[in-house]
Amino acid sequence: MTAKVSLRGLYKIFGPNDAAMVQHVKAGMDKATLLEKHRHVLGLRDINVDMQPGEITVIMGLSGSGKSTLIRHLNRLIDPSAGEILVDGQDVMKLGQAALRDLRQKQMSMVFQKFALLPHKTVLENAQLPLSVQGADKAKCDAEGRKWLARVGLEGFEDRYPAQLSGGMQQRVGIARALTANTDIMLMDEAFSALDPLIRTDMQNLLLELQKELHKTIVFITHDLDEALKLADHLVILKDGAVVQQGEPQGILLAPSDPYIEDFVSDINRARVLRVRSVMRPVNGAECDGEVEASKNLEDMIALTGGDTNLVYKVTDRDEVVGQLDMKDLVKALVPRVSGQ
Amino acid sequence: MAAYDGVFDGLGLRDWCDEGKEDAPMSMAQLLAQSGGGDAAAETNGLPFPSLDVLHEACGRIGQTRDLTAGIEQGFLSIRSELKFVLDPITQPLSWMLDGTLWVFQSAPWWVMIPVLLLITWFVSRSKSVTTFVALVLLFFGFIDHYEVAMQTLAIVFVCTGLSVLLGVPIGIGMSKSDTAQRTIVPILDLLQTLPTFVYLIPLIFLFSVTESKLYGIAIILYAIVPVIRLTDLGIRLVDKDVIEAANAFGLTAWQKLSRVELPLALPNIMAGVNQTIMMSLAMVVIASLVSAPGLGVLVLRGIRNLELGVGIVAGLGIVLLAVILDRVSKAALARVDTARKEH
Repeated sequence: MTAKVSLRGLYKIFGPNDAAMVQHVKAGMDKATLLEKHRHVLGLRDINVDMQPGEITVIMGLSGSGKSTLIRHLNRLIDPSAGEILVDGQDVMKLGQAALRDLRQKQMSMVFQKFALLPHKTVLENAQLPLSVQGADKAKCDAEGRKWLARVGLEGFEDRYPAQLSGGMQQRVGIARALTANTDIMLMDEAFSALDPLIRTDMQNLLLELQKELHKTIVFITHDLDEALKLADHLVILKDGAVVQQGEPQGILLAPSDPYIEDFVSDINRARVLRVRSVMRPVNGAECDGEVEASKNLEDMIALTGGDTNLVYKVTDRDEVVGQLDMKDLVKALVPRVSGQ
Repeated sequence: MAAYDGVFDGLGLRDWCDEGKEDAPMSMAQLLAQSGGGDAAAETNGLPFPSLDVLHEACGRIGQTRDLTAGIEQGFLSIRSELKFVLDPITQPLSWMLDGTLWVFQSAPWWVMIPVLLLITWFVSRSKSVTTFVALVLLFFGFIDHYEVAMQTLAIVFVCTGLSVLLGVPIGIGMSKSDTAQRTIVPILDLLQTLPTFVYLIPLIFLFSVTESKLYGIAIILYAIVPVIRLTDLGIRLVDKDVIEAANAFGLTAWQKLSRVELPLALPNIMAGVNQTIMMSLAMVVIASLVSAPGLGVLVLRGIRNLELGVGIVAGLGIVLLAVILDRVSKAALARVDTARKEH
């Protein structure tokens, strides 16, 4: 599978002479030294990420880790100091003004943390913005705008103004706007961070539901590990502008590569996040006490067994046996691995 | 002996100084010194500030202060014909517009003019109370026989404000897009705003004939254009950065960004600037009457010149009334723009 979006050796340094500073960073200078000696701020260091089509790639990191800087490189709201950004194999850095605008209109749409809706336009006008910018005729704009607003659950609110809606509803408009653009790639910059927890869960479910249907390539930025684990097909963890670990989220949870990530994942409710598929072993012919779906999470399993650790289950995926689950392994998996043990 | 002779002697400049001595005409100070000899002796005893005039006494080659002002005047006069050659055709349309609008406002009968003005008021303010108030004021002007002069003033304010907005908004947009432009233009705006209003008129009188209406037109526009430029610049710079980023992310062209995002969001600020521009052009109309601008200002001037207290005060209050209705109408328009975007 070829990647939809690839970042190759991406560096970003903030300051007047950033291109020259890349050499220092490549030679191994760290963020503090660069700031002290050369008065330049290191934004991103040697980022290599492949984002597969139809997957949700979540980029996670604490504030200041460079995640918002990173997502703005994909549509070149920020230009890198060095490196390549490939979209469908084409280097975005080589695009001229018009081609770049075309890319932003037709290939990538974006959802923002602070919604960034136009306050003087109605909800419908906001939702149809990407199409009207491209000069589509009014009837098409209208139909598409209404369709996607209805899809995100905002039917009947078309003629309101953004200020009249709650935060969650405003972000639904933001999502409808991104969907109206009908692009393959959707960039979501902390899209749910400004919402309160219950609405955030709603919006996450909405996104997963839409994704099941639309199979877009989504790049999602968050600082919330629970959210990251819930949404991610591919998880990238950033720290101080560099990738610390990336891969399948369950894999990262079970095998953190570095004390920073161990720290990070130690507070997670592992029983809810981990799935049977991640802790099962190959079938060895032992006697089984029943069958379970590979996609069940461990919490469900504990509830199913009533806490009995002597049971062994056959694991199935679409009616095919793929492995077996010993409840003892399950219990072990609940304890976070700590380095040195 | 003059106070600073020693300095020039010490520097070995005495010969250079004396070359053209005694040619210069006598200054007022010298004249006074001659007539009242005792005082002059007392002055030279101390250490006078080394001003141009004092240094001139010691060294004839150094000019006096009056040479500086004369130099400025000479300099201006020497480029006057070239300046006139360029500016005259450019500004000629202003004369036509002012004369044309004045003609329309004066020749249209009151029973046409007042309803038209009220319709405009209703159109921009959509407020019954404001429209009623404007109607009362206009009828009051008619009642005290000041209708014609009020219309003249109103015509001048309309033309000058219109042109200020037409020129000021694009300049403000340019300023908001470039920090260099902003750094260059802001001192000019400061100058225009602080220069005493009469000073505008002096060079203009040299350039154009006093009977031409563009003379006062230019003076009013120069003075009144400042707020609309400043507030357009400010308004566009204050547009939410997140919204601008979203506009970029969805691939809006520079023009689409300006027309769909920046200008609509800056509109309340721009309207506040227009309101200020109207007020300032009204303030300048009185001073412009010194150079033949018709209207209420002429009556104020007559009040001052002939000490006709009543005439001056009635005309002055008339200007206040005009200012109030223009302010109310433009504020109502501003409020309408402001609420159109928020809750209804």
